[in-house]
Amino acid sequence: MSSDEYTLKLDGVWKKYSTTDFFHKSIREEIVGLFNRKKDDTLSKDEFWALRDINLEFKQGDVVGLYGTNGAGKTTILKIISSITYPTIGSITVNGTVAPLIEVGAGFHPDLTGRENIYVNGTIIGMQIKEIKEKMDNIIAFSELAAFIDMPVKKYSSGMYLRLGFAIAVNSSAGILLFDEIMSVSDGAFQQKCIDKIKELKRENRTIVMVSHNLSLLRETADKIYLIKDSTAVPMSAG
Amino acid sequence: MDIIKRIIKYRQLFIVLVWREFAVRYRYTIIGVMWAGLQPLSMMLLFTFIFTYIMKIHVSAYPSFIFYFAGLIPWTFFAHSINSSIPSLTNHYQLITKIYFPRELLPLSSIATALLDFVICAVILFVFIVIYQIPLTWNALWLFPLVVLLVVFTTSVSLFLAGLNVYYRDVRLASNFLIQLWFFMSPVMYSVDSLGTKMKLMLFLNPLTFIIENMRRVLLEGRGIVLWQMAFVCVVIGVFYVVLTKFFIKIERAFADVI
Repeated sequence: MSSDEYTLKLDGVWKKYSTTDFFHKSIREEIVGLFNRKKDDTLSKDEFWALRDINLEFKQGDVVGLYGTNGAGKTTILKIISSITYPTIGSITVNGTVAPLIEVGAGFHPDLTGRENIYVNGTIIGMQIKEIKEKMDNIIAFSELAAFIDMPVKKYSSGMYLRLGFAIAVNSSAGILLFDEIMSVSDGAFQQKCIDKIKELKRENRTIVMVSHNLSLLRETADKIYLIKDSTAVPMSAG
Repeated sequence: MDIIKRIIKYRQLFIVLVWREFAVRYRYTIIGVMWAGLQPLSMMLLFTFIFTYIMKIHVSAYPSFIFYFAGLIPWTFFAHSINSSIPSLTNHYQLITKIYFPRELLPLSSIATALLDFVICAVILFVFIVIYQIPLTWNALWLFPLVVLLVVFTTSVSLFLAGLNVYYRDVRLASNFLIQLWFFMSPVMYSVDSLGTKMKLMLFLNPLTFIIENMRRVLLEGRGIVLWQMAFVCVVIGVFYVVLTKFFIKIERAFADVI
C-alpha cells in the first residue's frame, strides 16, 4: 500500500463517557495518570460505554454511511476519527489528512460577513488562506449567496447559513471528509446539489464518512453502510 | 517547544483567529482601535492626578505621567491577556467539541490581540518620549528581551488558567480579584527602587516586578540591567513555561469530553 493512499482504521475502539456533571474527578485522573499508567476498562458509577469494540476500516475512495438513531454513537465515531476526542481503549490509524469537519459553519462569527467567515471556517477545516482565495468564487457560486456574501451572517437565515457552510466544506482538499447530518436540513434542490457534489468527490477518489439518520439519503450516496446500534457497528446492505 | 511546533503547523488558522478576534472587537465601534490606547491613558491620567495633587508623591525626574504610562502598558497587556484567555476555551465550546485543532490557539489568539494593543500603546509612549525629549541610550535595547520574557510569562500563566477553567469555572470567578491583587504586587504605580532589600526580594518573587521595573529603567532612565537578576528571572520563567505548557497539553486531550 503506498503511503499517499488515504486510509482509516479503527481497531477495537471503546469510548467511555460519564453522565454526571462533575468533572473534577477527571482532571485528578489526568494528573494521577501521569504517574501510574493504568488502562481503566471497567465502568464506575455514572459511566457508560458510548462505543463498544468498534472495528472499521475505510479505504481510499470509500463512501461510508453511518446510520443509527440519535445517541447511538455515530458522532462519537466521527469525533474519534478527527481526533477531537480519544478512545478509552483501542487505537485509530489515519493515513492522509482528515478534514476536521463535523458540523457546517464551525467558527462562523455572527458579526463577520459571509466572505470573512469563509476565511474563518475554511482555515478551521484545514484549508490554506491562499487556497481559500483561489476557491472563493467557487464557494460563493456553490452557495448561491453571491448577493448576500458581504452581509454579516447574523442576518442569514438558517438555510443560508447551512448552504454557505456546506459550500466551504465540499471545497476542502482533504483526503478524508467527515459529514455529520449536514444535508438533512436544506431544501430539496440544494440537497440534490449536495448529493451530486458528494458523488463528484467520490469520483475524485476521496474517502467520505457520512453520518445520518436518513437511510434513503445514505443509500443514494454511500457504498458501505453501518448500522450503529447500542454502541456497536453492524454492516448493513447498501443501495 | 511542542506548542511552538503546533502553532507553526497551524499558523494559517492562527493568523485568521487573531484577525477574527481583532476585527470583531472593534467592529461597530465609533472610535475603533483607539480603544486600545484609551484604557491605559485614562488610568495614567487618574494616577497622575492622584499622586501629584492628592498624595503628592514624587516618582521620577521626568514627567510622572510617563512613569505611570510606561508601567501600565506591560501591565495592561498582562491583565488583558489573562482576562480574555480564561474564557476563550469555554466560550468556544462549540468549536472544541466539533473540530480538532490545537486548543492553545484560542487563548493564544487572545494574547496576540492584547499584544497588538501593546504595540499601539508603545507607539503612543514613544511619541511622549520624543515630545518630552527623554534621552534614549543603548540600554533601551534591553527592552526586546524584556518583552519576550513578558510574553512568555503571560502565555504560560494564561494557558494554565484557561485550561484549568475548562474543569473548574472558579478560575473565571477568581480571576478579577486575583488580577487586582497582582496589580498591587507589581510596580505599576510605584517603583521598587527606594525600597529595602527584604521588601525588594519579596516583590521580586513576582516575575512581573522584574519585567515592569526594568522596562522603565532601560527605556526612561537609561540604566542597565543587573545580569544575575536577568539570568535568574529567565530560568524562573523558563521553568514556568515548560511546566505549565506541559500541563496544558496533557489536559487538552480531554477538553472536548469535559467542556
